[in-house]
Amino acid sequence: MIEVAGLRVVLPPDVVAVDGIDLAISPGEFVVILGRSGSGKTTFLRALNRLVEPTAGRVSVAGRAVTGAAPAELRAARRRIGMIFQQFNLVRRASVLDNVLAGRLGWVAPLPSLAGRFPAADRALARECLARVGLAHLAERRADTLSGGEQQRVAIARALAQGPSVVLADEPTASLDPALTSEIMGILKSINAERGLTLVVSQHQLETALAYATRLVGLRRGRVCFDGPPAAVTPAVVEAIYGRKEEP
Amino acid sequence: MTRAAVFVGLVVVGWTVWDTGADPMRLVRGMPWIADFLRRMLPPDLAVLPAAVKGAVLTVEIALLGTVTAAVLALPLGFLSARNVAPPPVFYPARTVLNLFRSVDTLVYALIFVAAVGLGPFPGVLAVVAYTTTSLAKLYSEAIEGIEPGPVDAITATGATRLQVLRYGVLPQVLPLFLSYILYRLETNIRAATVLGFVGAGGIGFYLQTYLRMIDYPAASTALLVTIVMVMVVDAVSSKVRARLI
Repeated sequence: MIEVAGLRVVLPPDVVAVDGIDLAISPGEFVVILGRSGSGKTTFLRALNRLVEPTAGRVSVAGRAVTGAAPAELRAARRRIGMIFQQFNLVRRASVLDNVLAGRLGWVAPLPSLAGRFPAADRALARECLARVGLAHLAERRADTLSGGEQQRVAIARALAQGPSVVLADEPTASLDPALTSEIMGILKSINAERGLTLVVSQHQLETALAYATRLVGLRRGRVCFDGPPAAVTPAVVEAIYGRKEEP
Repeated sequence: MTRAAVFVGLVVVGWTVWDTGADPMRLVRGMPWIADFLRRMLPPDLAVLPAAVKGAVLTVEIALLGTVTAAVLALPLGFLSARNVAPPPVFYPARTVLNLFRSVDTLVYALIFVAAVGLGPFPGVLAVVAYTTTSLAKLYSEAIEGIEPGPVDAITATGATRLQVLRYGVLPQVLPLFLSYILYRLETNIRAATVLGFVGAGGIGFYLQTYLRMIDYPAASTALLVTIVMVMVVDAVSSKVRARLI
């Protein structure tokens, strides 16, 4: 589902964020990318849909080349890749439903969408996705009047509205408290199970990663330092990913 | 360092006082003349009230039409001169054009347009458009540069086109600011438009200047009072609306 070969990302001025990653992810996998902050998790995820421009290497998602794609091809690849962010990244002043409808932008005719018009079928789909995350009753509310956990659920609905084959989630629970963390991870797990969606989620919390992932990928200094099932995680692996535990 | 700065500051102030012939005593000696001027203005000649009101309405119209036209024209310019939206080959020339046109005041544009299209309110409208378009574009572009990048990333990630990203990721963030800037410009333009009449570009200023030239001070004071009321009313309405936007 996701093929990554020799991926390298150098951020200006000269920070090597991703330093040669090769990875193949199969359909239906729930991959958690583990690593300390600064290990390259975010940059790696953002390179998968080219929100960050890779310096070298190849990425393809769902059989479509992401790297080297012309703008129109890139958009076609992106609309199959949902993305969820740490800060939710909703348009605050827009309604909840409008935020979810934004997930349809890659599919609808561009001109009517610029006038704010969406086909009835897309509106219905957006409402369905909102119901899926349990927020149908908040459709008309302004996005910034929602709590953090609710906003992240809206963001999930927006990603689902794309009809994606892959969902990337960059630290989706880092801004939320523990109760909401399990709620959000639970929703991600269930869409992974029900729809067979491939999930790639970055996390810095080991416990959360172990509880939900079918596969863990540890990153350290932009390189893969572990790749295996949760059962294979040993103290040595934890040390390889996080470094020696320091006394608090 | 600070002592040197203070010294330089004092020298500059002293020099400007010398050069402009600033002398408080001259102002004090002139006070009786100002008092005499004010006395001659009273009471206001209410016979010219209808004419003055007509002029004031025309001034508001000049400012309104000019500001609304400029608000629309400034939109593409604002996006083209925002660092985070436009590519550098577009951004730098656009910024330069904005700074160039913005350095000339509305009144100077009015002189140019009166020469070009003749006397009346129309050159006034053109002058307001010329100045306001570039000054609003500058404000727009700064608002665009101040947006949160997060929603833009999110919309981009859905596979949206560049225009869709502007419409759904950028515009909702900046629209309230834009409207607030437009209202603020409308307020300042009404004040600017009152003097446009002095150079023949229509409105209340034309009446005010005519009465002063005819040494008809009571009539001039009516025009002045109407101007004050007009500005106060527009400011009050506009600031109420602006408070709601933010």
